[in-house]
Amino acid sequence: MSHLPPWGGILVGARLEAYSRVLEERERGLGAFLELDPRNPVRALDKDGKAATGALAGLPFAVKDNIAVEGMGLSCGSRILDGFRSPYSATCVRRLLEAGAACIGKTNLDEFGMGSSSENSAYKPSLNPWDRDRVPGGSSGGSAAAVAAGMVPFALGTDTGGSVRQPAAFCGLYGLKPTYGAVSRFGLVAYASSLETAGVMARTVDLAQAVFVAMAGRDPRDRTSVDAPGEEAADRRAHTGGAAGPLAGSRIAVPSGSLLGLEPGVERGFRNAIDALRDAGAEVVDIELPSLAHVVPAYYVIATAEASANLARFTGISYGARMAGAESHEELVLKTRSAGFGDEVKLRILLGTYVLRSGFQYRYYHKAQKLRSLIAGELAAAALGVDAIASPVFPTQAFRRGDPAMDPFMQKLADRFTCAANLAGLPALAMPSTLEGGLPTGIQLMGRAFGEDRLFAIARVLADHIPPAAPPLYSEECPA
Amino acid sequence: MKYQSFVGLEIHIHLRSRTKAFCSCPAHFGDEPNTNVCPVCMGYPGVLPALNEEALAMAYRTAHALGCTLERESFFERKSYFYPDMPKNYQISQFARPVGRGGAFEFELGGGAKTLRLRECHFEEDAGKMIHAGEKSLLDFNRAGCPLLEIVTEPELSSGTEAEAMLRSLRRLVRHLGVCDGNMEEGSLRCDANVSVNTEGAGLGTKVEVKNMNSFRFVREAIEFEIERQTKALDEGERIWQETRLWNENHGATATMRRKESSHDYRFFPEPDLPAFAASDEYLAGIASAAIASPLARKRALLALGIPNERADSIVEERGLAELFDAALAAGAEAAATATFMESDIRARVNRFGLSQVIERLDGPGLAAIVQGLAAGEIGAGVARAALDAAVVEGKDPRKHLEEASRSRIADYPAIEAIARSAVAAERDSADAFLAGNAKALSRVMGAAMRASKGMADPRALEAAIRKEIGS
Ligand SMILES: [Zn+2]
Repeated sequence: MSHLPPWGGILVGARLEAYSRVLEERERGLGAFLELDPRNPVRALDKDGKAATGALAGLPFAVKDNIAVEGMGLSCGSRILDGFRSPYSATCVRRLLEAGAACIGKTNLDEFGMGSSSENSAYKPSLNPWDRDRVPGGSSGGSAAAVAAGMVPFALGTDTGGSVRQPAAFCGLYGLKPTYGAVSRFGLVAYASSLETAGVMARTVDLAQAVFVAMAGRDPRDRTSVDAPGEEAADRRAHTGGAAGPLAGSRIAVPSGSLLGLEPGVERGFRNAIDALRDAGAEVVDIELPSLAHVVPAYYVIATAEASANLARFTGISYGARMAGAESHEELVLKTRSAGFGDEVKLRILLGTYVLRSGFQYRYYHKAQKLRSLIAGELAAAALGVDAIASPVFPTQAFRRGDPAMDPFMQKLADRFTCAANLAGLPALAMPSTLEGGLPTGIQLMGRAFGEDRLFAIARVLADHIPPAAPPLYSEECPA
Repeated sequence: MKYQSFVGLEIHIHLRSRTKAFCSCPAHFGDEPNTNVCPVCMGYPGVLPALNEEALAMAYRTAHALGCTLERESFFERKSYFYPDMPKNYQISQFARPVGRGGAFEFELGGGAKTLRLRECHFEEDAGKMIHAGEKSLLDFNRAGCPLLEIVTEPELSSGTEAEAMLRSLRRLVRHLGVCDGNMEEGSLRCDANVSVNTEGAGLGTKVEVKNMNSFRFVREAIEFEIERQTKALDEGERIWQETRLWNENHGATATMRRKESSHDYRFFPEPDLPAFAASDEYLAGIASAAIASPLARKRALLALGIPNERADSIVEERGLAELFDAALAAGAEAAATATFMESDIRARVNRFGLSQVIERLDGPGLAAIVQGLAAGEIGAGVARAALDAAVVEGKDPRKHLEEASRSRIADYPAIEAIARSAVAAERDSADAFLAGNAKALSRVMGAAMRASKGMADPRALEAAIRKEIGS
């Protein structure tokens, strides 16, 4: 599996000049990046100073600005880390560099990953390459816009409750949230540690898979990371396909209620994808997952509780932005955090602090953990019985800037399919379905733990039936 | 009115692992500020803790030695509070599942002993250090992330004297375990006290926390002061506030640091970045098999051999010396003579060359040979010291030294007579004093003669020759 043509050599000589010019121009139109420097990429060199050769040799890529890349910024889309340069690289980034890829920039995001439009960045909004009046989704919206606009073949995002998959769906990309623990979190600026993972966005299944494979595996610096257990031979049975189609013998479950509250375009896209999977030979079955009703409240309690502690370190004392004029430690912390954090971040810190108060933990935090166990148990059991659990990614297509077409409460309920995978720690892959009204739609397939390969295999079959499309303005495979 | 006082201790032990609790920085005191730091212990964005199992094993071993029930599934929690020297503004600690629960510690008190029940022992990371320099506050993060074991006792001590005695015994235990050097001045052993006074029989009074006691003496003095202060307040019908007070060593008094009407909410919750530590049967068996004889048990054994209290203390103070003593006895040395030699000559060499050099170079049989030679009168104190130095300074087997000494010993009677004659002549006054009945004076003549023979004269033959020369 080679990804070199047509990207091979793009960071060299005349092609690099042409590439840099295209990037500058597209960046002006989209605002995908917070830092972009294709002429000075971060890459791994061997002992002799030669660029690493590996599965991703020569490929430029972009990294969401809440993942550490040595020598680059790490703003997390927040004023509070304005000017901070990372002294180290995240393990997932390091592994991609060792596989030969070169990081050319850091992408925009909702502050600390909190949001679903990338408008909640302290620096600027990013625009959707399909329609610049629309958002690219979030929180990894900058990465999605960069890949959809052909600026890089792939980009990294982080996914705490759908932050890779929802922007992938909004921009017509493959977006993988791996199994919790499959990819090291070392170097991801934590929002909700027990939920989030690094994820990848790409225009092709093959590349998304190659990037995942390069990143995956136990890391001694992340004690929650593990090597994927060897797949049992019995599980391979369903992979073979047969005369009745490439997915013959596969079972794909659709939870009841999946179509509730969807925009018509999203519903059509979802039905088209399901029909295509059925045409390919898959058996599509209905499934009851009553615990899905508890996903959003459990998710918000756990995510905000963890965030309240994770974000406590940002006080401007040993790094980051520090506000002037404080007379005491308390005042310094107060001033720095008041000015440094945006409203959504403050809201989530306050919520998290509230649910962790002693005397209230049983009502909120412990109850949410019980619900999480219930959800995780139900989803893991369901995922073991089938090849994948299919659902929409998000109830809307890319919405207009400044107008989510949902109130904030609806917006949060909209996360139930994506958040379920984070609560259960299961892998989930967003993949493009048909264009509706000129905009992408997507479908999410959730698999069993460490079953990423099966999801990619199904995605490959779906791509044969519904070939993924690129935005009309950026349709060439490689920009230079 | 008759009062009762209740003192409980929260003791922090700095575990002597090579690296910090959750990163690979050296866990070392006294280096240039902010040199033993990395993104992990500085709480940089994106980093994760990685448990140091060497340090956790030290915590388990200590909890085991304290008789705690060891936790099979020990996990870590975040304890949240904002403090300038705490990089993450939460401390990785333990709450619901500490390393050990319960347990008891028996310590020497006066001529006897007392047993103090323990509540729990938990593993946690240390904060950094803030230094106030005039207008500025400086932060040193070398200590941040160093592994600590916190031991929480029941409030069952009744005085500062008891607290000091407990801490001194505990210090000896952790030094024997090799998990902590027990230095209070440098902060590797730290102690806060909860002190309350109430009418006798009425149970605990209002709890006052006393901090900033960085020596054994200050612990005793601060607690005594606090008991007296509260007793006086009760006598005068004043309210005792629930508060934290700091010991001021210059004023010899405690003073209010902060009043807590409502206790601080640390919002504990399980650390999502660290899996629980599963202590298997095998692991716990390993902890149990690494157990050592407690210093108190060792001391009791010495006392039972008739060794005086202070001499026993000087041997038991260091595990290495106690083990050397046992090894010498096992090699046939007599207990009292060994203890005497250890308290004087070996102690002096420990002070000069350090404990590790002494115990590395002197083994039980070597020490036994010296002590036995002395006891049998085959060698004098000079040869004994020379044999000891041959071992400690030159790394030579003391038995070899004794053999050589015996070969070159001056046993030839005319030669010994000559030495005796000139020594008596040189120490005529002492010889006369001895004749006049001062028995001790003989040793001065002996000393001069021994020096003249460079320690090589057979001591018994020499003494006989001197007595003959003096004419006693
Ligand atoms: Zn460190």
